[in-house]
Amino acid sequence: MKLDAATLKTKCKHYRISNEEYQKICQLLKREPLDIEWPLFSALWSEHCSYKSSKIHLRKFGKTMNATVVNASGENAGIIDLGQGERIAFKMESHNHPSFIEPFQGAATGVGGILRDIFTMGARPIALANYLCFGEVKAPRMKYLMDGVVHGISSYGNCVGVPTVTGQTNFDPSYSQNILVNALAVGLLRPGEKIALSQAQGVGNWVVYVGAKTGKDGVHGAAMASEAFDENSEAKKPNVQIGDPYFEKLLIESCLEAIQQGLVVSIQDMGAAGLTSSSFEMASKGQMGMDLHLDQVPLRDSSMTPEEILLSESQERMLMICEPSKLEAVEKLFSKWGLDACVVGKLKKQRTVSLFWNKELLTEIDPDLLVENAPVYERPFSAWASPRRVSSLPDLKFSAAKVKIELMQVLSNEIAGSRRPIYRQYDQRVGAMTAHGAESDVAIQRLPDSGRGFALAVGCRPFLMQVDAQIGAYDSVFYPALQMAIKGVRALAVTDCLNYGNPERPEIMSEFVASVDAITEASILLKAPVISGNVSFYNETMGSNITSTPATGVVGLRDHVDGLAADRFGKEGLKVLVLRLKGLELSGFGQKPQFKGEYNPQKVTELIALLRKAAMEIPPQASQVVGLGGLALALAKMSLDGIGCQAHQDLSISSWMKNILYQIVWVTDQAEAFEKFFQNSILAADVEILDLAITKKSVLDLGSELQFSLPELQKLSSEALQSYFQGVST
Amino acid sequence: MKKIGVLRFSGTNCDRDVFSWIQLKGFHPEYLWHLDQFAINDYEALILPGGFSFGDYLRSGALAARSPVMKSVKEFSKQGGPVLGICNGFQILCEAELLPGALVKNEGRRFIDDWVDLQCVGVSSRFASQVKGSIRLPIAHGDGRYYLPEKDLQALWDSGQVWFQYRNENPNGSVQGIAGVLSKNKNIAGLMPHPERAIADWMGGTDGWSFL
Repeated sequence: MKLDAATLKTKCKHYRISNEEYQKICQLLKREPLDIEWPLFSALWSEHCSYKSSKIHLRKFGKTMNATVVNASGENAGIIDLGQGERIAFKMESHNHPSFIEPFQGAATGVGGILRDIFTMGARPIALANYLCFGEVKAPRMKYLMDGVVHGISSYGNCVGVPTVTGQTNFDPSYSQNILVNALAVGLLRPGEKIALSQAQGVGNWVVYVGAKTGKDGVHGAAMASEAFDENSEAKKPNVQIGDPYFEKLLIESCLEAIQQGLVVSIQDMGAAGLTSSSFEMASKGQMGMDLHLDQVPLRDSSMTPEEILLSESQERMLMICEPSKLEAVEKLFSKWGLDACVVGKLKKQRTVSLFWNKELLTEIDPDLLVENAPVYERPFSAWASPRRVSSLPDLKFSAAKVKIELMQVLSNEIAGSRRPIYRQYDQRVGAMTAHGAESDVAIQRLPDSGRGFALAVGCRPFLMQVDAQIGAYDSVFYPALQMAIKGVRALAVTDCLNYGNPERPEIMSEFVASVDAITEASILLKAPVISGNVSFYNETMGSNITSTPATGVVGLRDHVDGLAADRFGKEGLKVLVLRLKGLELSGFGQKPQFKGEYNPQKVTELIALLRKAAMEIPPQASQVVGLGGLALALAKMSLDGIGCQAHQDLSISSWMKNILYQIVWVTDQAEAFEKFFQNSILAADVEILDLAITKKSVLDLGSELQFSLPELQKLSSEALQSYFQGVST
Repeated sequence: MKKIGVLRFSGTNCDRDVFSWIQLKGFHPEYLWHLDQFAINDYEALILPGGFSFGDYLRSGALAARSPVMKSVKEFSKQGGPVLGICNGFQILCEAELLPGALVKNEGRRFIDDWVDLQCVGVSSRFASQVKGSIRLPIAHGDGRYYLPEKDLQALWDSGQVWFQYRNENPNGSVQGIAGVLSKNKNIAGLMPHPERAIADWMGGTDGWSFL
């Protein structure tokens, strides 16, 4: 039956399949798709599932791999080997679209989804982190979104019993109509524990469904995440999934038990595009066929159609392959946790997935057509040319009074105010591994078998991305690595969550490609491979795109958890040194994003390596990477525990505010040794060290009328965000 | 050798932390599953760890308090066996009416993770007997506000059943800043803060170590 032009157009629109894609489907099938096949292609060929616009660029991350990588892309999460039998699985993922529509559930299910990617590999989740970007606080719905997202993360993470140990929260007008909610999860495989994979294996093995029943929530979720927002986005609320962290906790325990007891051959969570993507991907990866009986799927709503069952994104569900002889043991194990394991299909040799409904064959289709043959697009882009580079930056003609006002302002608002009202809602210590939680720049957990310190930090500074997408992307890897280096931590591996606008716009695609190239180069230089990640395109609302935001998660290792330099001043009479890499300057707060100078990734890598060496050989009492807002803000933040400092260098007023990439504050009683260390290093000509101040109780005194009372700064900072996170939404 | 039983309900999430704390102290932990009863004479003490038993559905601790294992817990405690409930475990003991009062939603209605200062004001027959004066422990709870009707408070004090109080700051609005209570004969103890999260310097404190 040939579809008439009008019906075809309607169908293509409904399933978000382009005309060219439709032609390709007909070509692959050698016929027109059946009704039941439309939703399959719609889901698996969506941007969200197929990575069709990013795939050719993401391949570059392959060049970053090294011997520590146990498992990279292709599986649910990447795994690296820490040595001594300890392995870490980790991944970061976006949940931007659902969170903008329904912040509490959107953020909560973002946490649930990323956790399933981790424990489906046999790794016990040990840490969560998040990377959030909100718009202007006064933008419509923004306070509701902020509060809802944090509450959602807190409700889910706390209940499943995985600590949220770090995060980053940014505010910029470009996110006012499209917030970013990126969640990261880490899992630990202790010595001797088995890694589980997702490829289907063994003809005659059962396909077993376990977890929550399937409902109508989240139908078409993957497709929703693959298009821009419009004024009707509110109507998409029914597409948002509903999470149940208690159910997830039961799944974590039962699945880990089943995996470690060797009861499952392979396992995959039902994430985006639910049962469709899990079954087809398992079959395709295993080069196997599968009979799938959709009428056997446990349902919450008996009126659901096969199409809805295939596309439902109901949460907390897993698909497993089990040997028939072990089925009884599997059923017994899951029933102990109050869960039903239910056979929904069988593996077969013939490489097709056959979908049945009450014994009637709906379709039989080669899984590779949907998975391996998904379209790949080379979207137009141009080579990176730094559009905002200038030969000289406008002078910061600040008076001391202006600097003072400016500083107090950013400390008392969302730009630099304390994030404590956010992270105080997260259980940071469950699991009894946390040495340094979300109050620290770098989270550190103690690995139970080796006693080593496992470090986690997230990166990407939106202002830098506005300055230059290439520099911003380098920085999204280097900045967390720098923060780790000054605490004596070696960065080991990277995950990323690439949040961009509409890839069909060449200017967005150019930023994307420049970013991927920069992240690749930074990772190669650091020897920290990019082992997992996620791309979120179409962060565009009514034609306006977000700031391109390549969020990263960097993991690292330290020999032990003791003697870590503090983030803040903690003792009087210590020298406060500032080390600067010469060469790159940015415009300041409230100015047009611009930069002057040369960004040299090689030099930054050398700086990271040297600082880590210095942190171990001549450990500082406190250390801090100077962020945006310059030295004055960094020193103010370091003073928030009640010990400040008194400057003896007469810096010009504006140089307290200047943004330099990179500056480090190093607090030490071994100033000479530190200076000598750098004078004798390969960076001797590239850095300058200022002996700036001495730590002092109760005062921040930067000279020239720049004095601050610490209790006042503490009050401003601690109250900055308080009113936003007190439950306006519930 | 007698063992310390660690109760596991579905949704308990501090079970493994408590288990390894008991091991580090040189005692012998054993998990006790919520659907099973146990031989009470095999155990020297029981701990109900924190978490979200049964997802905190209905009321936190309410469903766990009615599960089969609690029958054995009641028998064990009736014979004077020491029982410690931490966080959700404390909520369960209150719901099971083994401890007086109730734990309701925090005053600010939000989950709180923080370190708090505590004052020890009572003596348990088995737990924290070395702890004197003021200590510092982490809290992590959404329903940690201790409540007892005004008229019953004096009796609680008179019988020495107030175990710990928050010092300086009352984080959740608990009545009289009560953070932990004891049963009349002091063998059953419940507290909201987590001693098992403060047993090493690297954790940020060691005041929890001697609770066992």
